Amino acid sequence: MSATVSPIREPLIRGSKTYHQITEDLVSPTERTPSTAWVIAFILSVIGLATYAICLVWTVWQGIGTWNLNRTIGWGYDITNFVWWVGIGHAGTLISAILLIFRQKWRTGVNRAAEAMTIFAVVCAGQFPLIHMGRLWLGFFIFPYPNTRGPLWVNFNSPLLWDVFAISTYFTVSLLFWYMGLVPDFATVRDRATGLRRNIYNFLAFGWTGSAKHWQRWEAMALILAGLATPLVLSVHTIVSFDFATSIIPGWHTTIFPPYFVAGAVFSGFAMVQTLMIMTRKILNLKDYITLEHIESMNKVILLTGTIVGVAYLTELFIAWYSGYIYEQFAFYNRVFGPYWWSYFGMMSCNVLSPQIFWSKNMRRNIFVTFVMSVFVNIGMWFERYVIIASTLARDYLPSSWSYYWPSWVEIGLFVGTLGLFFTLYLLFVRVAPVVAIAEVKSILKSSGDQYTPKTREQVTGQKQQAH
Amino acid sequence: MDNQNNGVWGSEAELTGDERFDKIVASEEFVSLPIVDQLGNDEVVEETQASRRDFLKYVGFGLGAATIAASCDTPVKRAIPYVVKPDSIVPGVASYYASSFFDGSDYCAVLVKTREGRPIKIEGNSFSSVTKGGTSARAQASVLSLYDTSRIQGPGTIADGKVTVTNWADVDKAVGAKLNAGSNIRIVTNTNISPSTKRAMADFSAKYPNAKVVTYDPVSSSALLQANASDFGRQAVPSYHFDKADVIVSFGADFLGTWISPVEFTKDYSTNRVIKNAKNAKMSHHVQVEGHMSLTGSNADNRILIQPSEMGAAITALASALGLGVSGPALNAKAKTAITKTAAKLKAARGKALVVSGSNNVGEQMLVNAINNMLGSYGSTITWDRASNQRQGLDSNIQGLIRDMNSGSVDAVFIMDGANPAFDIPNADKFATGMAKVKTSVFFGGTMNETGALCQMAAPTNHYLESWGDLEPKQGVFSLVQPTIQPLFKTRQAEETLLRWAGSANLNTASEQPYFEYVKQTWKNTVFAGQSKFATFNMFWDSALHDGVFETGAAGGAAVYNGNASAAAATVSKPSGAALEVSFFETVNVGTGQHLNNPWLTEMPDPVARTVWGNFIGIPVSWDGSNKMQALNGLNPDEVYGYADLVNVEANGQTAEGVSCVRQFGLPQNVVSMALGYGRTVIGQAGKNTGWNVYPMMSLDANGNTQYYAAANVSEKMGMDKTFPAVQYHHTMGVKAEDPNSGETINVGEKTSMTVGSGYQGGIVDRSIIFQANLSEVGDLAHKIGEFRKEANHLNDQTLYPFEEYSEKIYSQGHHWGMHVDLNACTGCGACQVACVAENNVPMVGRDEVARHHEMTWLRIDRYYYGDFENPNVVYQPMMCQHCDNAPCENVCPVAATNHSSEGLNQMTYNRCIGTRYCANNCPYKVRRFNWLDYTTADLFPANEADMNGEEGVPYGADNLTRMVLNPDVTVRSRGVIEKCSFCVQRIQEGKLTAKREQRGLRDGEVKTACQTACPTGAITFGDMNNKKSALMQNVDGDLNYRVLEEINTQSSVYYSAKVVNRDADLT
Repeated sequence: MSATVSPIREPLIRGSKTYHQITEDLVSPTERTPSTAWVIAFILSVIGLATYAICLVWTVWQGIGTWNLNRTIGWGYDITNFVWWVGIGHAGTLISAILLIFRQKWRTGVNRAAEAMTIFAVVCAGQFPLIHMGRLWLGFFIFPYPNTRGPLWVNFNSPLLWDVFAISTYFTVSLLFWYMGLVPDFATVRDRATGLRRNIYNFLAFGWTGSAKHWQRWEAMALILAGLATPLVLSVHTIVSFDFATSIIPGWHTTIFPPYFVAGAVFSGFAMVQTLMIMTRKILNLKDYITLEHIESMNKVILLTGTIVGVAYLTELFIAWYSGYIYEQFAFYNRVFGPYWWSYFGMMSCNVLSPQIFWSKNMRRNIFVTFVMSVFVNIGMWFERYVIIASTLARDYLPSSWSYYWPSWVEIGLFVGTLGLFFTLYLLFVRVAPVVAIAEVKSILKSSGDQYTPKTREQVTGQKQQAH
Repeated sequence: MDNQNNGVWGSEAELTGDERFDKIVASEEFVSLPIVDQLGNDEVVEETQASRRDFLKYVGFGLGAATIAASCDTPVKRAIPYVVKPDSIVPGVASYYASSFFDGSDYCAVLVKTREGRPIKIEGNSFSSVTKGGTSARAQASVLSLYDTSRIQGPGTIADGKVTVTNWADVDKAVGAKLNAGSNIRIVTNTNISPSTKRAMADFSAKYPNAKVVTYDPVSSSALLQANASDFGRQAVPSYHFDKADVIVSFGADFLGTWISPVEFTKDYSTNRVIKNAKNAKMSHHVQVEGHMSLTGSNADNRILIQPSEMGAAITALASALGLGVSGPALNAKAKTAITKTAAKLKAARGKALVVSGSNNVGEQMLVNAINNMLGSYGSTITWDRASNQRQGLDSNIQGLIRDMNSGSVDAVFIMDGANPAFDIPNADKFATGMAKVKTSVFFGGTMNETGALCQMAAPTNHYLESWGDLEPKQGVFSLVQPTIQPLFKTRQAEETLLRWAGSANLNTASEQPYFEYVKQTWKNTVFAGQSKFATFNMFWDSALHDGVFETGAAGGAAVYNGNASAAAATVSKPSGAALEVSFFETVNVGTGQHLNNPWLTEMPDPVARTVWGNFIGIPVSWDGSNKMQALNGLNPDEVYGYADLVNVEANGQTAEGVSCVRQFGLPQNVVSMALGYGRTVIGQAGKNTGWNVYPMMSLDANGNTQYYAAANVSEKMGMDKTFPAVQYHHTMGVKAEDPNSGETINVGEKTSMTVGSGYQGGIVDRSIIFQANLSEVGDLAHKIGEFRKEANHLNDQTLYPFEEYSEKIYSQGHHWGMHVDLNACTGCGACQVACVAENNVPMVGRDEVARHHEMTWLRIDRYYYGDFENPNVVYQPMMCQHCDNAPCENVCPVAATNHSSEGLNQMTYNRCIGTRYCANNCPYKVRRFNWLDYTTADLFPANEADMNGEEGVPYGADNLTRMVLNPDVTVRSRGVIEKCSFCVQRIQEGKLTAKREQRGLRDGEVKTACQTACPTGAITFGDMNNKKSALMQNVDGDLNYRVLEEINTQSSVYYSAKVVNRDADLT
């Protein structure tokens, strides 16, 4: 029976797929010898990862003095990268949790990859709060563990501590969500595998048999985790924004930060999903599962969140002027026209102006444009964090202490290195797990598969008549 | 069961083997252990796989391996207890000894703080009538030079600037063999104010009648001495009383920085500058006529800008305006008008006026004498009683020596400590060629320098902290130098060496400390004989040694002016008419070059230019009404990004290549400035590659006096200095000028920054950082401050947090520490900053690290220009941790490493700090410092220490010698932690413990911070805010006090009193 589908919805699975074909298409990338494209990408990623390792060792060995931070600007690339990666890590949970609750079927094509991206982005993000510490080896001080020092507790007033809880919770829930989704798919992989491979996947699949009870519990679990994860999507970046919003530095101390950060996070997260999905569907030949329809939907989210962010930027400027508070006014004037004007310019053009082309349907559905835009947005969002952190600190209250900051090779190496770490993990992921959620895609086949979806208004009417 | 205990029995029952007893023992007392049975059973043991032997083998191997692994290169720390404890040393308790510091130009009566026999800190001696407890940055840093690793280790021969150490007997013999009674010996020294040293030289001359002392000063008052010799018949410097002057005019004399006796003058000067309340505010009027922006000029009310060569014209113009009937060369019109107006002011202040000049032209100094005479200054603001001995060198002396040496008539040259004529005179090259013709040359200096490298033998003298000695800075004012540590190396005091070589009968070589006896004898014969306070010499000596200073009755008497102004006017310098002149000046830190190897001073920012580790060429800034400020030739456009341009500077036929520029406000458009004393070549590692030697660019005038300026050429940009070590890029608090288009006075700072990329400064002027006003508007200023504080407190009262409650429950109990800084008393001299470094073991990081803004100073002195764009005023603001009671840094630390004490101290727990730097980001005052690299070698890992100045191997400060300077009361911080001003918590603790031991409350003023005790003007007051009668609260009460950024509710504990200048708008 065909489900009731709005006649104007586009099909989400193309190529008149059968269940078996779906399994074939989605599992085969884990079974084939990797393509040349994958091997090249993997080598590049591992080089990046090695860069990361070298820079990390150098930083720990020599000290934070290998970075160009200074007495005025205590955070630069490190925290910029942290916030940027955390922001990217927002899309996965948003897609899995919130879109699940809203029953958005298009999420099934992209949620697996988006969740994986979330996990890996949070892994990358988590590096920076650790390595930016002057004494990394004492990093365990930030955990409230019982000790013999009094006991001496952590400072629960500090937003950095809130970060520790927020990020670790988010990481745990995201990981659970992702892995839980993988269980039936691992079982599918297992069923086709032999030998050791079969044993491994059997272990990973937790002995999944596909019984009705399994499916029922699995669905219930998905909903529970979605319910847990939904507030996290909003809370994590809210708390990250508290690092700045609760401070006393003009340009940081603003109440708009929580919503603005969350919107920005979703914005950059979706952009990163786009970047990855466009590459993945090309390399793994998944055009039938990640369709233009998916891409367009995500572009709409990008357009919306980009505009929200833009409004936030303008609101900041307005409030600075309206507040009548000279330090605030100065901070924002300086942001726009000060020595870091180029990063503000980069932020505005990449984040606010460029996504506006997505008002045009042709642009939304243009793969190349989408890809370029997704990269733009991530550059822009990186600039946003750089603007907030570096340019604000560079010009604060006392003019005597003003300074200027430019990253050292180590800081650049660490940033590039986390990109390497991220892509290494992602590329390994596409080799070992189905990059599109097989079970979930199958669940929408009969409602959104192209062979089941009426293609024209006439067919819709025809169907209705038949029904009568 | 019997004899269980190997024949040892505890009771009769046990002995007799009573069964009942055995039963009790077996069942109740001792539970039988199965293992005992098993071990006794061979079968069981056989079955057990690991035998006892194996067990021991494993344990042995494990222990051995662990020991070997863990004991690789474990540093051995030696702690040797006293076998016989010296009476005066109590471990953990500091002893203070009175002594005196004199470096050839800068005198300070000091107390030396020693811990466990190590001198670690210099404090001012408040018994001294000269320095009154104040110190200079150089005196503060002198303790570090004691532990200088480049000190000469013993007597020997010199080759290639290196000393091959032998022993004193050999050197005595070698020198003795070369000298004979008729030898023409020259003893070269900078100003020597020690009566005993002079006596020793006289005793030496008694044996060698042809020995002569050649006294010269690198930055000399030669002309002043000659003018006084001519006008008063006394070749000396009189005593100046800046405290008695209502109008002070200084022609280029940097009397607050380097001229004659800066600590004394600074103290005196500040007494007329401090304003506690707006009501009945009064202050002296200070006009500085100068080319470059000196420290003194930056404190002046008005500066009259001239080219350095116009000094003669300026002085003549004043003399003429005062009616002395002289005429001289033409002066630029603007300066002339201003000087005419100044003359009227001086006339009105007759008897309370003081004119000083740093000029080294005899005619100019004679004219200044005539002016002072006419103004009735002699006897009031200038006295010959207690005339100063602090400048005695004549430039002609050293020039005469050069001639004699080159003509071959000198047999032997002795270079006393500090003297360095092969570097610090304009024709040092001629000195060097002369030295080659001298048969015998001995270097007495404690560290090698350019002159020492030309000598044949080294007879190194002690550091002053290892020496006995005496000083007479002003006539009848004596002070003692006493050793505070045994000589660290095989050195011997130069005086003793001279006396031994002379075989003087006055030196009792058999005594343990011959020169000590000699000094004592000097005092017995002179000072003791000239006083009536003490009956016996022993009483006198004990008292003098305890106090460190002793004054006899009025000494020096009067002198009558007998000069000729017109004749003097004829010999003043003529304006060069050069398009550009360079002014050479002595800095307050490295002086004439003798302190260049002391990193505490090389890393102390120049107060005006705010640069470190070198001399930079100060270039004038201009504005043409456009949107950009320009500097000379368009140089240094990227200073704000930390990039300076490199230029070649050519003067007097010499070229300094690749000099970094620094934008300098307050320079006339035709003047650039450059500090002297930098660019030494023969120096310890710490002083290498610091700046350019500018002495060769100077020239001598007709009288042989060195002229500290020259016509100059500054090339176009030759390159870029990407490690530009300036600690402050932003210069102004809103300088104003007339808009050439509209004619209105506008804020140039604002206007020039409205362009993209240069930073907006509109919000700067109104920031509650600096409050300043002219004396005439001080009432308005008090009102403005009052309004600001009212508004700020209103805002702060809106807080949701129960601050009042904390205040009542915690801070109002016990002590609540606070500080007051008087911006009017502060001259920016920097003594506090070096004192803080010494007290708190603050590491020095080197030029490149400072260029990256990694300087570690806990206390800095911010410098802002304001007022007239072309001729601005300057305010210096000492900035240290404000110990906020609602501290932004404390909230944000995730591990609570920084927290608040119940006494209002913002505390830093280094052990807990993990280095997130969030506190530093959130500090509105930016006073927190992060240990970016391993600056102190206190790190967990070896082999990653940062070098300071290109040293190889052991980094600076890591060797055992230099580490002796560390204050044991203050933790040395390791890499990766934040540090900052602690209000000298170790001193607070010491004061509290003393009070507790004596079962009394802490007295006001008992605890003083290091910066406070160092300050020559008393600009810093520390105390208990809960003690309403404390000196602190008296100062805080004034209506000109404010807290920096009070409106952001940090509740800081440091109060500043506003800057007031007595600027006369007509005088610019």
